[in-house]
Amino acid sequence: MEAKRKSAHQLAREIGNGQNTARRLTEEGLKRCKNLNASLNTFTFIAENEALEQAKRVDKMIAAGEELPLAGVPLAVKDDFCCSGLPASLGSAAFKNFVSPYSAAAVEALLEAGCVLIGKTNLDDMGMGSSTLSSPFGPSLNPWSTEYAAGSAGAAAVSSGQCLLSLESDTGGALRLGASHCGIFGLRPTPGRISRYGLSAFSSSFSQAGIAAANPEDIGVALEVLSGFDERDVSTVLCRELPQEKEKDIDPGTITIGVWDGDGDRQSSANRDLISQTGEKFRQGDFKISEISLELFQETLRAYYIVAFAEASSNLSRYDGIRFGEAAAARNLDELYEQSRRCTFGKEARRRSIFGTVLLGKDRFEPYYRQALKIRRLFQEEMARVFKQCDLLLLPVVKNLAPLIGREAGFIDQYEEDYYTAPISLAGLPALSLPAGTIENMPVGLQLVGPPLADDLILKVAAGIAEGLSIPPIAVRPGRDS
Amino acid sequence: MDYEVVIGLEVHVELKTESKLFCSCPNCFVPEPNVNTCPVCLGFPGTLPRLNREAVKLALTASLALNCRIALRSWFDRKNYFYPDIPKGYQISQFYEPIGSRGSLTIEDDLGRPKVIRIGRVHMEEDAGKLIHSPTGDASLVDYNRAGVPLVEIVTEPDLRTPGDARRYLEKLKIILQYAGVSDCKMEEGSLRCDANISLRPSGSETLGSKTELKNMNSFKAVEKSLEHEIKRQRAILKSGKEVISQTLRWEEESQKTIVMRGKLQAHDYRCFADCDLAPIELTAEEVEEARAALPEMAEARAERFVHDYKLPDYDALMLTSSRGLADYFESCLEFYNNPKNVSNWIMGELSARLNSAGIEIESCSFGPEHMAELLRMIDENLISGKIAKDVLEKAFYSGKMPRRIVEEDGLLQISDQSELEGIIEKVIKENPDSVGNYRRGKTKAIGFLVGQVMKETRGKANPKLVNELLVKKIGFK
Repeated sequence: MEAKRKSAHQLAREIGNGQNTARRLTEEGLKRCKNLNASLNTFTFIAENEALEQAKRVDKMIAAGEELPLAGVPLAVKDDFCCSGLPASLGSAAFKNFVSPYSAAAVEALLEAGCVLIGKTNLDDMGMGSSTLSSPFGPSLNPWSTEYAAGSAGAAAVSSGQCLLSLESDTGGALRLGASHCGIFGLRPTPGRISRYGLSAFSSSFSQAGIAAANPEDIGVALEVLSGFDERDVSTVLCRELPQEKEKDIDPGTITIGVWDGDGDRQSSANRDLISQTGEKFRQGDFKISEISLELFQETLRAYYIVAFAEASSNLSRYDGIRFGEAAAARNLDELYEQSRRCTFGKEARRRSIFGTVLLGKDRFEPYYRQALKIRRLFQEEMARVFKQCDLLLLPVVKNLAPLIGREAGFIDQYEEDYYTAPISLAGLPALSLPAGTIENMPVGLQLVGPPLADDLILKVAAGIAEGLSIPPIAVRPGRDS
Repeated sequence: MDYEVVIGLEVHVELKTESKLFCSCPNCFVPEPNVNTCPVCLGFPGTLPRLNREAVKLALTASLALNCRIALRSWFDRKNYFYPDIPKGYQISQFYEPIGSRGSLTIEDDLGRPKVIRIGRVHMEEDAGKLIHSPTGDASLVDYNRAGVPLVEIVTEPDLRTPGDARRYLEKLKIILQYAGVSDCKMEEGSLRCDANISLRPSGSETLGSKTELKNMNSFKAVEKSLEHEIKRQRAILKSGKEVISQTLRWEEESQKTIVMRGKLQAHDYRCFADCDLAPIELTAEEVEEARAALPEMAEARAERFVHDYKLPDYDALMLTSSRGLADYFESCLEFYNNPKNVSNWIMGELSARLNSAGIEIESCSFGPEHMAELLRMIDENLISGKIAKDVLEKAFYSGKMPRRIVEEDGLLQISDQSELEGIIEKVIKENPDSVGNYRRGKTKAIGFLVGQVMKETRGKANPKLVNELLVKKIGFK
């Protein structure tokens, strides 16, 4: 009953050489998505017509002899990316009927490479969170067990076989946590490798486009397609520094994997076990292992949230009911702002807007915002020193298993879920969440982090030990209650 | 008690770029609303700003022209506030580190003495859209054509002391920025906007009095008038022992009065912080020096050169350099026709009169330097008289035709043929025996009247010098 999972690059090759057609695959895929979506609530919108159109276009191009690296690969896109002509809810009920007039750079690139966009995936309130529990459209369920939240709907889509690639955003860790909760791979690349143009970001400093897939090779192919200079996003000038020639193979003997498990009592024994098991795998694969200690790590989650709140309060200001967001009937301008923002935002978006407004105010700017930026700089410096001792760093990604449906934690506890992921965002480093094992029959991953632009190295190293790591079942397992 | 007036000006100037500050929408005025817009300047979700380097260049030029120190590293901040004319809920501006600071501009005070006005900062920012309120008051509309247009804001220190100072500062600023090619600086069209801060304090006092902010002046004259009005108002309040309320006032052109626009001026907390969607603006010392070297010759230097190189009187040089367009026009004429004083006379006389009555700028005038040169050459060659030339200029001014063509088409060539003129002269002598008699009795002035009669007969086409000669020969003492 478990369908065999093909990798995206294999599938693209099959379509490329005529063994399969995008159209047949898309028709089957859409059927499957509609079925699974009914139980998992993965998508906010399934783009049936557009997907079939694109599949036909891809088949035609293949027939015309064109080479497409991702021909016919079914793609899910998180609903905070804009796609021309498709609805983009951005995680707000008020945007249910908003249709974007333009496409995100990353979406454009993937479609050009032959991907078939199946649908837009569910997300937390204005993209704020890593559970989908705060989504105005209800939570997305975890295919491993429907008692649990997906964490990331895109990761659930990959895990349950609704698509092979998922384009996602990662601010404080949504993509990496979701990948861990669903037992797949998720890369948050170095900021600047993938254009953010068209991603509705609540944090300009931290929100990045990333990719989730069932294996590191697929992520590599997608990164190759997505990475590059885009004049619409100034941060992508970084891509001009990328070496033209890429190393084909790596020599494990020359690579040192740093391992960090020095966070004392805060680290769960489960994480400690996973780290040591995975470290052992690296050792068996001839990689060098080195223990690393981090000093500032504990200070960084707060710094991350201060900056993220501040930016959220500003980035969300445009949803004021004048042009975007729910236009409420009001007697005057202030009332209009108040009413429409109340309708547009859920609890979490409101909370972060208010926190951010307070933190940027003149009494708190210096002691909080400026201090947070200082911690960021110091932590970046510390991480730069770490990467003189090792090439990549292995550390936990989650603090807990995927959240249980219907048992939403308090907001402070939810922020704590980003304990291992947000600091990496703060430092501006690339990180891959990779499956490492299961606890209580639920998947748990680890994070492989590198210095800026180490994305390709991370993917290659992960591929070196991926055998036996990728464990995602395609079938959906109902929760015990259902 | 006498009071000292303290004035500071905040001037917003639209930069003359092809496109907007953060997107490729054209930077030009169009009457239809919301035409020059795109997802970026409308603040669509997911869009990112992209800095227009041309705007940075112009801001750098403006800063250098105003003797500012240049920040080699500056950046954009977000100024957060809610208002419907800003699409993103924040304005992108330079708050913490302006591109230019600590500059100066020298004006003449009321007594004609030079006076240095310090310029605190020159910073870049994006313009807002325009709100249009329905006359019935039940709706407001927003036009985002102007949203994202690049501006520099130029802020003086409180160094101005009289409304005249303020006007002269603005006039000088306009000339400098026009010369530098930074902006059109047309206050009537909104490409230069000015807010004034004004307070009074007892003479000799060092502390500033409480100030008011004046807005909505749409000409230099209005700035001067509104300040005069505000000085009177504040002086009356202070004399009566009351305190001036710190507030924003709006100048009403129709009634020539200020009205309260916003209550108490409170320091609004804009929660400014660096905009991470944009990279910092990095300039090298070489780039700055290049821009400094490329600064165009400013008005004063050019006037001096005109006096020295073209032997023009000071007055002519001053008038011709009062705008860059006029000075450029003058020098272009000289490329075709090398008689500086003659060109100067005609620009300052006839051409200026035409420009004024048509209400257009020299840049958009269809009577170009080639037209002027051809016209003046025809006078020199005795092909037309000065009087006819004025008519030709007017015709060419409106039609854009070359002067020679107008002269030919309208048969205005000067009559310098002696035989043709002799018949007309005979006729005039016959018809005006009294004047002839007067002349012969020694009233030499009578000859002027007779010349005039000949000119009338020929509809101005006769060569007046030749007519004069012929008349004297005919009726002179034998």
